[in-house]
Amino acid sequence: MKPLGRINLPGLATLLAVLLLWEGFSRGSASLQLYFPPVSRILVSLYELIFSRELFGHLLATLGRFAAGYLLAAALAIFLGIILGYSRLAYSFAEPLIEFLRPMPSVAIIPVAILFLGIADAMMVAVTVYACAWPVLINTIDGVRNIDRTLLYTGRTFGLGRWQALRKIVLPGASPYIVTGLRISLAIALILVTTSEMVVGGSGLGYFILDEERSLRTGNMYAGIFVVALLGYGANRLFLLLEGRVIAWHRRMTAGETV
Amino acid sequence: MKWNSESRLNGLALLVALLPVWEALSRTELVNPLFFPPMTRILRSFFLLTISGELPYQILVSLERAVAGYLLAALVCIPLGIVMGLWNQVYRMLELLIEMARPIPPPVIVPVAMLFFGLGDEMKIFVIAFSCAWPVLLNTYDGVRSVDRVLMHTGRTFGLSRGKAIAKIVFPAALPQIMTGLRVSLGIMLILVVISEMVGSSDGIGYFVLDSQRRFKVDQMYAGMLSLALTGYALNQLFLLLYNSILAWHKGLTRAA
Repeated sequence: MKPLGRINLPGLATLLAVLLLWEGFSRGSASLQLYFPPVSRILVSLYELIFSRELFGHLLATLGRFAAGYLLAAALAIFLGIILGYSRLAYSFAEPLIEFLRPMPSVAIIPVAILFLGIADAMMVAVTVYACAWPVLINTIDGVRNIDRTLLYTGRTFGLGRWQALRKIVLPGASPYIVTGLRISLAIALILVTTSEMVVGGSGLGYFILDEERSLRTGNMYAGIFVVALLGYGANRLFLLLEGRVIAWHRRMTAGETV
Repeated sequence: MKWNSESRLNGLALLVALLPVWEALSRTELVNPLFFPPMTRILRSFFLLTISGELPYQILVSLERAVAGYLLAALVCIPLGIVMGLWNQVYRMLELLIEMARPIPPPVIVPVAMLFFGLGDEMKIFVIAFSCAWPVLLNTYDGVRSVDRVLMHTGRTFGLSRGKAIAKIVFPAALPQIMTGLRVSLGIMLILVVISEMVGSSDGIGYFVLDSQRRFKVDQMYAGMLSLALTGYALNQLFLLLYNSILAWHKGLTRAA
C-alpha cells in the first residue's frame, strides 16, 4: 500500500471537484445531458456494458490487432534497424526511401491498405506495423551506430563469432535506444488501431465509440473512451515494468558513472 | 570514378532504377495495375491535379485547420506549462486530471468532437489542439522546472518584476525544450488532421485520399499521398529553419560549453 504522504491530495480534490461539477451541471440541465451525461450514468453504462459482454468482444478485437501489429513491427524494425545501422552500404541504399516515406503522416497509408487487404483484420494490423516500425527503426539504427567500435573489435579479438557479437554486444549496446523507440511506438499503435477501426468499422473499440456517438448513446461513448484510455495506460505501465527489468543493468551502469 | 559505398546517391540511383521496372511490371500487367498504376500515370495525375488547383486547394484546407489547432494548443499550453513549472501547487492540482486524460488515444476524441461541433472545421481544430497539447504542455513544464532558480532570483534582486522575470529569464531558458515539444506536436498535428478528415469531413487532403480510394481512382490516391509527404517534408524544413534562427544563441552557447 502507498504511504498516505504520497497521495496527491490537491490533485485528488481538483479531480473530484471537476467530476462533481460535471455531475451537478449535467443533472441540472436537460440539454447538456446529451453531450455530458452525468458521471454516475457513465459509470452505470460502463457497468452494464461490462456485464453484457458487448464491450468485451470489442476490447478483445482491439487488443488482438494492437498486440499483433506492435509485436510484428518491433521484430521487423529491430531486425532491419540492426542491418541498416551496421552496414553503411545498406543504409546508403535505403536512406532516400526512408526520408521520403517518413514525413508522410502514417495514417495516410490506410486507404492503400484497404485497397490491398480489404477491411479485414490484416489491413488494420498492416497499417499498425507500418506506423509503429518507424520510431523503432530510426532508434535502432541510431543505437547500433553509437556502439563503440572498440567493443566490437575487442569481442572479435576474443573470438566471438558474428552471431555471438550481435547477441552479446550489439543488442545490449543498442537496447536503450531500441527501448525508446518501442515506447514511442506503443502510443502510435493504439492510434492506428483505433483510427482504422473508425474508418472501416465492424468491430473494435474505435468502431464502438464512433457508433455509439452516431446513435447518440453518449453514456456508452464515454464508457468506451474510458476503456481505451485504460488500455493505453495499462500498456504503458506494463511496458515500464518490463523496461525496468530489461534495462536495469544500464541504469546501474550510468548511475555508477556519475558518482 | 571510385564507387562511394556511403553516398546517398546509391539510394537515389536505386529508386531511379526501380521506376522503369515498376512502370514495365504495371504496363504489362504482371502486377495488377489497379493497385499499382504505372509511375508515369501517378505523376501525370499529380501534375494535372496540381495544375487544376485541386491538390493545392485540399492541402490548404487541411493546413488551415491544422495550423489553427496547433496554434491554439501552443497558446494555451505554453502559458499553462510555465505556470505549472513555476508553482508546484498548480501542477499538483492538475496532475491527476492530466494523468487521466493523457492516455486517451487522440483518434477517439474525434467522436466526442463530432458530438459537440458537428462535422465542421471546429471539430478538427479541437481534435488537433487536444492531441498537440500534451507534448507542448509537458515539455514546457519540464523546461521551466529545470531553469536555474538562481537566475530567476538574481533577476528579481536586480529589480525585475515577476512578469518581466518570466518573460526575460524563464521563457528564454525553457525555450529549447518548448521547441522540442512544438516539434513533436508538428508531426502529431499532420496525423490528426488526416484522421479527422477521414472520419468526418467532405474536404481536405485526408478526405481526398480516402475518397479517391473508395472510387478506385488509385492514381489520384497516390498523388494525394505524394502531396502529403511533400507537405510533411516542407513543414519539417520550415520548422527547422525557424528553430535554428530562434535558438541560434542556444546552439552557440552549448557548443562553447
